[in-house]
Amino acid sequence: MGYRNLRYYIGGMADWIENGGPVEKVEPAAAPPRSGQNIQSPISHTSWTGFLDLLAGWSLERLVGFWLGMIVVFGVVYWVAGIGIGWGLQAGNVAVKPDLEGLGTAIYFSFVTALSIGYGDVIPLGALRILAVAEGVAGLLIFGCVISKLVSRRQEELTAEIHRTTFEDRLDRVRTNLHLVFSDFGAVQQLQVEQGSLPGQVLRRLESTVRVFRGELQTVHDLLYRSQAVPDEEALESLLANLVICLQSLVELSGSRPKNNGESAALDNGLRAISNLAREICGECVPRNYAPALKESMDQIHELAGKIG
Amino acid sequence: MARTESKPDSHHAYRVISRDEILARLHDPALLLVNVMPKETFEAGHIPRSINLPVAEIEERARQVLPDVTQEIAVYCAGST
Repeated sequence: MGYRNLRYYIGGMADWIENGGPVEKVEPAAAPPRSGQNIQSPISHTSWTGFLDLLAGWSLERLVGFWLGMIVVFGVVYWVAGIGIGWGLQAGNVAVKPDLEGLGTAIYFSFVTALSIGYGDVIPLGALRILAVAEGVAGLLIFGCVISKLVSRRQEELTAEIHRTTFEDRLDRVRTNLHLVFSDFGAVQQLQVEQGSLPGQVLRRLESTVRVFRGELQTVHDLLYRSQAVPDEEALESLLANLVICLQSLVELSGSRPKNNGESAALDNGLRAISNLAREICGECVPRNYAPALKESMDQIHELAGKIG
Repeated sequence: MARTESKPDSHHAYRVISRDEILARLHDPALLLVNVMPKETFEAGHIPRSINLPVAEIEERARQVLPDVTQEIAVYCAGST
């Protein structure tokens, strides 16, 4: 990258700590509030849509629980209001009694209100009407949140599925291409052995193969360095193995080719790029930690990179 | 071990810095320490005065974090664990 005064501390953190070097740590900031705790988002104090944002942050189970709890609480309030201040519920011109059956009726009314069904067989009296309307509004809002949660959950599953499939397709493509590259290198090499040099047409073919190889090498490189998705080890292993055999045949090919004879600048550029890319793949220099077999393949790639060109 | 030793050879442009030199120059502003491990690993412990530039971000952030190409930079990662 153009840095002229780069130096490597090969021992790294392991060596540093082992020999008792001073270590600095970053204290983790106060843990962010976990959703599902009794913490309100700051906006909920100032705006009323904040309350909706808060609800949207809840899990589906919590939302449903809250919704059911709210309905039961309202039902109990209707019932108690009937006993205490005489503003109770009325079912068919008869006041709902303050007994267990009455409690059932009150909760039933609460459900009918919260779902905004409103059969009208039980009606609230006096100030309870305001409470019932309020419950209707709150019930609808929360129920809406529940529904949207359900829909978005399914959507997330779908998106994840799509990501996974495209990712696997991409890996498949890389694998196939690497295989083609390998057989192409073999064919070119055979021609070279037979004819001693490469006729223009074959050279062009080699150029294009090298270009494809470079592209796929870049893909694998990106996969190792910055991919969010990690392929399973088996897939990665076969990818790396393909890379190794391609590089091997490329090394053989370029070894038997007269060096820098200027027959193709594009080819030389391509080889240089491949060598640089492959050099950055080795067991210890990729950011993640892989199984020893994978690391070995990566080291092999790193080693072969030095022999190209 | 053969691997880690062969690395600087094949990268013929790269030079190595020893632990003792880093220790001796811990307070030398001319030497910039760059930790290329992921952020979480960096936060869990690093050589004092290091800056964090995860490998995955080098391409996009290196020029911004390390604008001076002549600056003496010591790069390290986890090492052989």
